[in-house]
Amino acid sequence: MQILSATLVLGLSGFLFALLLAFLSKKLKVEENPLIEKIFNLLPQANCGACGFAGCKAFAKAIVSNPKVFSPCISAGKTVNEEITKALGLKEVLSERSFVAIHHCGAEENEKKKSYVYFGPKTCKGANIIGVFDCAYGCLGLGDCVVVCPVRAITLKDGRIYIDHNICIGCGKCVKSCPRNLFEIVPRSKDLPTYFVACNNPERGANVKNVCRRGCIGCGICTKFKGSPFYLEGNISRIDYSKVMGENVLKEAKEKCPTKCIFNG
Amino acid sequence: MKDIITIFISAVFINNLVLYYFLGICPFLGVSAKIESALGMGMAVIFVITLANTISWLIYHLVLVKLGITFLTYVVFILSIASLVQIVEMVIKRFSPPLYKSLGIFLPLITVNCAILGSTLFMIAKDYNFIEAVIYGFSGGLGFTLIIVIMASLREDLDYADVPAIFKGAAITLITTGLFALVFMGFSGLISA
Repeated sequence: MQILSATLVLGLSGFLFALLLAFLSKKLKVEENPLIEKIFNLLPQANCGACGFAGCKAFAKAIVSNPKVFSPCISAGKTVNEEITKALGLKEVLSERSFVAIHHCGAEENEKKKSYVYFGPKTCKGANIIGVFDCAYGCLGLGDCVVVCPVRAITLKDGRIYIDHNICIGCGKCVKSCPRNLFEIVPRSKDLPTYFVACNNPERGANVKNVCRRGCIGCGICTKFKGSPFYLEGNISRIDYSKVMGENVLKEAKEKCPTKCIFNG
Repeated sequence: MKDIITIFISAVFINNLVLYYFLGICPFLGVSAKIESALGMGMAVIFVITLANTISWLIYHLVLVKLGITFLTYVVFILSIASLVQIVEMVIKRFSPPLYKSLGIFLPLITVNCAILGSTLFMIAKDYNFIEAVIYGFSGGLGFTLIIVIMASLREDLDYADVPAIFKGAAITLITTGLFALVFMGFSGLISA
């Protein structure tokens, strides 16, 4: 008798719950854009997060709602990315890895003035609380970004951050890791190295010079060439990456920069 | 009334699910890196644990005891909790997208959270009546949330600390948890029961 009621109770409750679940999953189904499902199925579903989104599902959702943020999936091959481009209705097949990270501080350790010798935790997050260098905007040189980079494109040498643009996939993890917001994800320049201004100090030239030999003093020389993509944002020079860039102009600007703070990756 | 207050305080501070019974350690370590997600997890646990205790009490007393098959308690409870979480997830997804966004990823995680099953089994073992069982579930969840949020805020600050290399990560978290449990033992003089 007991064995009968036990079997019945367990079987029946299992059956009822299953029925209820099946019924509710039909009844409460949330209508999603079928394109999201389609793209999600195309993706490798490795959930590696290299695209900067929380997994393949989030990536599919994001690129369907705004195709502009689409940059090719790193885990997937070329054909898959072409299919996604087609599914999104984009004409041009975006070149693989179309974004790179740049770092807005080019000063080596001995080029920027130290406030004091720092003995605290060897992380930028910790050092940022008290400063370390006189420049309140520059790189702290303890390499929080080096650790988070999934492809190890970032190296730290003489207190300066180097990003290997051949390796960088533009995932944006370094952007989040930097307590001083020195990283920026920019479109990769086609057929030429990606140039960038390696300074983030918005103060006036004299003040910048007081704390760092490498900093951008806002002289504006780089903006004065014909067809120059440089422009002044307050007292720092920046590159407008939406402009068509000639390599000669960039090279010349790099040479003429009085503090030599224009780099190419 | 006095009983209920006793149950509440004892479940939140003294017989805390995490620190006294060592239940739910996995989500406790996994989701306590950031205060925000810890709070989300805590809320999901409060919600599910209260619901699970309610349903489990009903099933236990109205079905299992009546038929004399209380040895099925574990299986039936797991079954009902798992289904319950699935249903709750679907309902939330349909009717409250913002809530789903903040709780969503935690709900499937707590389906098999042992703190939930533990709470329902303790509630049976302690022979609570219906109201007491619901309160016990709720306060158990609240205790879990309290601990996980305090832990998350501690861990956020641990980033600044100069932890020796071998203690980094899970090790220092477990040590902190142990110290934490010792501190909470201090509450045990509060109620003699």
